[in-house]
Amino acid sequence: MNERPVRDFDFHGAALDTIFDTYKELRENCPVGWSDHYGGFWFLAKNEDIFNAEQDWATFSVAPSMLLPAFGTDEPMIPIDIDPPVHSAYRKLLLPLFTPRAVDDLTPFVEQTARDLADEVGKSDIADIGLGYARPLPSIIFCTLVGYPQEDWYLFDEWVDRIIYGRDVNPAESEKAGNEVREYLWALVEKRRQEPPKDDITGRLITAVIDGRPITDEEILNYAYLLFVAGLDTTAWAIRSSLWYLARNPEDQERLRRDPELISSAVEEFLRTLSPVQAMARTATKDVEVGGCPIKQGDRVVLAFGSGNRDEEAYANPDEIVIDREQNRHFAFGVGIHRCLGSNLGRREVIVAVRELLDRLPPFEAVNLDEPWHGVGPLTVRFKREA
Amino acid sequence: MRVEVDSSKCQGHNRCMIFAPDVFEVDDYGFATVRADGEIPPEQIEAVKHAVVNCPELAIIVRED
Ligand code: HEM
Ligand code: SF4
Repeated sequence: MNERPVRDFDFHGAALDTIFDTYKELRENCPVGWSDHYGGFWFLAKNEDIFNAEQDWATFSVAPSMLLPAFGTDEPMIPIDIDPPVHSAYRKLLLPLFTPRAVDDLTPFVEQTARDLADEVGKSDIADIGLGYARPLPSIIFCTLVGYPQEDWYLFDEWVDRIIYGRDVNPAESEKAGNEVREYLWALVEKRRQEPPKDDITGRLITAVIDGRPITDEEILNYAYLLFVAGLDTTAWAIRSSLWYLARNPEDQERLRRDPELISSAVEEFLRTLSPVQAMARTATKDVEVGGCPIKQGDRVVLAFGSGNRDEEAYANPDEIVIDREQNRHFAFGVGIHRCLGSNLGRREVIVAVRELLDRLPPFEAVNLDEPWHGVGPLTVRFKREA
Repeated sequence: MRVEVDSSKCQGHNRCMIFAPDVFEVDDYGFATVRADGEIPPEQIEAVKHAVVNCPELAIIVRED
């Protein structure tokens, strides 16, 4: 077959408002197709096709970048834009800092930070728990984890807005912000080199040995930059979208208050259905056919994780949010060799954020029903205090 | 019933250890192995089934023998 079924498919900005309907239509009528956005790309909308492409990294390369459009830089980000064999050496460098045990050690700090933020937003009856809670939490944790001054956390959020959420409308501004971040990160690396060694992310990066040779300055920077764009808004979005759902579904909110044990499976379900990373891109290294479509060497291929996460063939009642769903293998963190390095941490942060907010503050409901499910913007709620 | 982890598929996402901590363990990098000899005690069967259906890489194999 030589067909190229075309759809006006986008997965950023306003397209997200109705993207779950779009996915459904695609899965039914055009599970593999072509979109002209961002220079043109194939998209895969079925769970199984996405899984298979992720496993076949030799055919679906991450070069030049997994991000479409780019994240304020042309440099390959490490490890996300790197193929095997080098990829695993980069990954191994930081893996020990992201195991469940490592995340357990960090959890008391996550909890304390969440409590402080919750108490702050809980002071008024109407509050923006997007900007006041979902966003600062991951940024504060991130600063500590990487070894940046904690009081700088709000700088990171501003950069994220310009780099990630501005890139589809203003690429030049996105790139400028990217350069500012790199300068900031570099100054910290230089500073750390003068200080006594410490076993945190930056400490491991600056002393790393890759395949028997010392890591280069560019590599350090490209790794640190990736962590910054990968770990902040994703987690903030996941916290916000979980709370967005709970603010609109009082029965489920009440159920989690009564039975906090359910919070971890509920968070898994929010990740599946309202995930921050709706899609990631690859590049075909050779001609390949998927679902009868002729993908050519060099074509960009978008793996629509968000669609795979709602595939009727993979889940019962896929569009329903079932907070005690037991079988929940999903793509919120991707799959295969590039699956999220920070998944244990990201997941833990979302669980703690939901638990502490429910634990410390009275039932809350959405005030502004126009606020979308996606992004890291405002989430306005009213706390219902006993009279 | 016996369980094993296919180390060529496991990417170290640690879901197995969350669902069945008495059956699986992970090394310093997060990659999973099965504790002891892989025989699943009856009271762990449910937990292992949970791990199987939630492992992102389909890396956990259960054999009925
Ligand atoms: C809930 C929060 C998060 C979500 C939903 C998320 C999602 C993702 C996704 C979808 C990928 C791409 C996987 C693929 O293409 O198969 C990824 C990669 C990555 N993420 Fe996350 N992420 C989150 C939090 C974090 C955190 C907190 C960090 C670290 C501080 C982090 C670090 C990374 C890194 C380093 C990669 C690249 C891994 C590689 O290429 O081998 N992420 N993440
Ligand atoms: S859940 Fe699967 S991929 Fe993750 S550590 Fe366990 S066996 Fe490995």
